[in-house]
Amino acid sequence: MLKRVLRSNEFVVLLIIIALSLVVGSINPTFFTIASLFDLIRASNVYIILAFALLPVVILGGVDISFVAISAVASYGTHMLLITRGYEGGLFLYFVIGCLIGALAGMLNGFIITKFDLQIFDVSLATQTMWYGFTLFFIGATSNFDMPDGVVGYYSSFITQVSNETTGVTGLHVSIIYVIVIGIFLWWFLKYTMIGRGIYAIGGDKDVAERTGFNIKKITMVVFIIMGVLSGFAGIVQSALSRNFNPTLFIGQNLDVLASVILGGAAIKGGRGTVIGTVLGVILTQIIRRALVLTHIPSEWQKFVVGIILIIFTVIPALNEKRRKNQGRTTDLVEAMEEA
Amino acid sequence: MKKIFGKNPQSLGRIKFDRHTLLLLIIFVVVMAFFSVVNSDKGFISGRSLTSMGLQLSEIGILAIAMMVTSLVGGINLSIVAVANLGSVISGYFLFLNYPPEVAVGTTATFTNIKMPDDPSTWVLVISLVIPLVIGILSGILNGYLVGYVGVPPILATLATMSVFTGLSAGITGGRTITGFPEQFSVVANETVVGIPIPFILFIFLTAITFVILNHTTLGFKMRMVGTNDTASEFSGINNKAVIMKTYIMSGVLASIAGLIIMSRTMSAAYEYGSTTYVLLTILIGVLAGIQSGFGNVLNIFVSMLILQALSTGFQMLLQTVRGSTFFKDFSWGVLLIIIFVINYLVRQKKTGVKKSSGQ
Repeated sequence: MLKRVLRSNEFVVLLIIIALSLVVGSINPTFFTIASLFDLIRASNVYIILAFALLPVVILGGVDISFVAISAVASYGTHMLLITRGYEGGLFLYFVIGCLIGALAGMLNGFIITKFDLQIFDVSLATQTMWYGFTLFFIGATSNFDMPDGVVGYYSSFITQVSNETTGVTGLHVSIIYVIVIGIFLWWFLKYTMIGRGIYAIGGDKDVAERTGFNIKKITMVVFIIMGVLSGFAGIVQSALSRNFNPTLFIGQNLDVLASVILGGAAIKGGRGTVIGTVLGVILTQIIRRALVLTHIPSEWQKFVVGIILIIFTVIPALNEKRRKNQGRTTDLVEAMEEA
Repeated sequence: MKKIFGKNPQSLGRIKFDRHTLLLLIIFVVVMAFFSVVNSDKGFISGRSLTSMGLQLSEIGILAIAMMVTSLVGGINLSIVAVANLGSVISGYFLFLNYPPEVAVGTTATFTNIKMPDDPSTWVLVISLVIPLVIGILSGILNGYLVGYVGVPPILATLATMSVFTGLSAGITGGRTITGFPEQFSVVANETVVGIPIPFILFIFLTAITFVILNHTTLGFKMRMVGTNDTASEFSGINNKAVIMKTYIMSGVLASIAGLIIMSRTMSAAYEYGSTTYVLLTILIGVLAGIQSGFGNVLNIFVSMLILQALSTGFQMLLQTVRGSTFFKDFSWGVLLIIIFVINYLVRQKKTGVKKSSGQ
């Protein structure tokens, strides 16, 4: 059991996070302050929820790029709907309507994919273009900075606060509660429900899963409803945090989120991926970003460094896979026998 | 026919107007007819409008071919736009080293613009045009190595190299837009030959070359085989790795040619030009053109590009008084793609009569 934990992908990512933190912290001690930690958590939260939205799709064996557009249409659509009617309440109604729009948009993806027997990636291309175009043309093309009274203070609604003479007052933002609740739900769903196991089965081998009796259409549909709901939710949290609702929210960031999910150990070909790994993948991405700032690498070179890190992270698993294939998978067999 | 085209006519030899090409052509005619009626007073089918359409669609069209060749071997190349920009940036840097702007004595010039003399050396100009092509080849070697030899999934490998190439451009330019490219370069994007913009001629030319490579050479045949079934192709003696490498080099060179057109049109170079929107657009064109791993016709890319441009220009003319009219094209492209999915599905069902299982 312990051996399995130590060998797991998540553990490796955790080690890298710790090592990287130590290096950055020794160069710039501000990295090790509570304020810095809270800030890291706040910046990560939205992207963790977005990564949660994408995770089931990746496990299913597909790549979706439309979830960012669903975030945009759900959050911006909800906001314009409510603000033009003089709504002054809190975020709760935002979440209800936003998640509903997200669920419907996700269902559209799922419906087209299952009904017309198409690739997830191809359909998501169409819907991502369509939803951004729809939002910009039919709802509005400019960012809206009007906030209902109930949402105004959301930016600084902290669970606990710390104050620091250099950074001022910061705190642990309430959005971490969402991450924990959604994370636990998704973990339970993927691990202990029949549909959750079906997602892994389809990702591993679709034909086998179908013959085993999994309802592929139903499972695909559920995956996309989850994706839609979580995307809409993340869009609203992000907009409320940044205090403006934007029709091109998250545009161009779909591939970054995908990279985080992959860094967290999910297999791009499907069948593998965990909630913990995804959380660690996003945190790793955020730490790398911070590390580049704190170690004073010029900002214009940061993307280059991120690219090099990405190459390393994609080459290592590929080489491992190659070695396993060359050995005829005997290592897997030996491992399985040892554990048995 | 068989004698004219290739030795093995059964193997993808002849020009085949497959069902999808026909569908796209019908859609193109319908779209053009629709807009020439509703936009008749605004001159949709006028020389000026057609010229501007031909200019606009060419750079994305060439990028779409760069994307298509990798799709054909079962891959994807997210780095094409980054390669296009990197080529212009390095080329600009070379010109800057030769012709730096004047600065106060004792300071070094920063890389923001190029000060071209009245009589630049022809060699410098020629080399600065060759540099992007070399960058294209190098990028292809890196991508091909990662995908073919190391075995990184193409979407991840090219996502990483996209970041590396964009990062290199950003680092070299310091995030600035570089201006002051030689006047001689602007000829490409701004001149026409008998009313046809030069970029559009280039697009036709590259479509033709790609068509010949894909349909009348062994490399093209091997690319299709690798895309159809890489295990089978490996066992039939095809060097998959080399084929993948060559494909990505081809993709890189095509991308850098698109970069040259962009440089010529904007007379500048920037690391962020087009960014991910262009990349996703080229994939969308590929899907619209019905390109699949191992199957696909470059002529479909050409027609798809014409349709998208017609929709874009047409809706812009039609809705020019409406707020945010430029965004309607995105919506229409997405809807069009879904319509094509549905039509293809219906045709396929009618043909086979068998209901296939769902899938991804």
